[in-house]
Amino acid sequence: MMRHVELAELIAALLVILLPSFTLAQDFSFSISPAEVHIDNLSLGEAAEFELTIHNKEELAHNFTIAAFQPPEEERREGRAEFPDDSWISFSSQEIEVAANSAADVMVTVAIPLEQKWAGGDWEIWLGAAAESSDLLAVRLYVRLLVSTSRAKSNAGLIAGIIVGTVLLGWGGYYYFRRKAKPE
Amino acid sequence: MKAVITSIGVAIILALIFSLPALAQGSDTITITMTGVNDISISLDKTQWLLGEVAANTEYATSPPIEWCTLTVEGNCNVNTFIVGEDAEWIDNPSAYKWALSNDGTNGENVYGLWFRISGDTARGYVPITKTEGEFWPYSGGSSLAPEDTKQFGLKLLTPIYFVGGRQMQTQITISAVAA
Repeated sequence: MMRHVELAELIAALLVILLPSFTLAQDFSFSISPAEVHIDNLSLGEAAEFELTIHNKEELAHNFTIAAFQPPEEERREGRAEFPDDSWISFSSQEIEVAANSAADVMVTVAIPLEQKWAGGDWEIWLGAAAESSDLLAVRLYVRLLVSTSRAKSNAGLIAGIIVGTVLLGWGGYYYFRRKAKPE
Repeated sequence: MKAVITSIGVAIILALIFSLPALAQGSDTITITMTGVNDISISLDKTQWLLGEVAANTEYATSPPIEWCTLTVEGNCNVNTFIVGEDAEWIDNPSAYKWALSNDGTNGENVYGLWFRISGDTARGYVPITKTEGEFWPYSGGSSLAPEDTKQFGLKLLTPIYFVGGRQMQTQITISAVAA
């Protein structure tokens, strides 16, 4: 009797239903554009905005999620470093419903903190969009985002030059008027 | 006194005339470039694998084994594709029980393996799917997929040596694409 119970338990332990399916989803397709975005000369403390368009090519509405991903080093464009902080990128909505055979836009904002150490950066990060699904296979599409910040600039020298120039011009003018006003 | 004021006034005006253009150059113009009107898209002709009940420590392959699903490049730019898996979770209570996805395709107690194989890829054969995004196609610096290119592939599952039976488990494999 004991052996029968053990055998029944063993059979039960061997059985599981993996990857259940009630409907057969087929040929799921969507697109995202543009495929690559370059932001050049982004000043420290400033922000840049652009739109991503998600096109749902299905006969059903789908929810899409959007997030930033750090790509593997070997997949980055040449000369590009890791984007320092994902939190500098924000989306008008990280989840968006796109109706059947329709497109929807997501506004992306890239804001760089006002710290000199971020000047002259050449970075890459990927923005990934995926349809929410419980299917075994899912698709995620990445947009390459390449961001370059403006080089560090100091106006201190220029301002000092203006002051010196003003003093010299003032002195020169004063000297000229004094000489001119002197009686012959 | 009049001469002093006039001189300083003229000097300031002259200094500003010459310095303002230089100061204005300090604020750069931000350029945002969208590469053409490229849109990126791939499609899969299957997204589910009807597996049913499985036994422990057993391999299951899709049928046909390596031409089960077709990936098609539908956008208008060349792409590199990647694949990543995740732990399988108990549908009724995902936080209570899971099978961990192994990082080399092997199995263990409550640890399972997943593999993919691309039709015509004799060099790699079956490749483990892990929780770290890995190369799907191309691999090792090969050629990217061009618009309308297709790749057929199949999957293989290696169930854990031991698992708690009678529980519906669910997992997801994500195939991703980026402009090459």
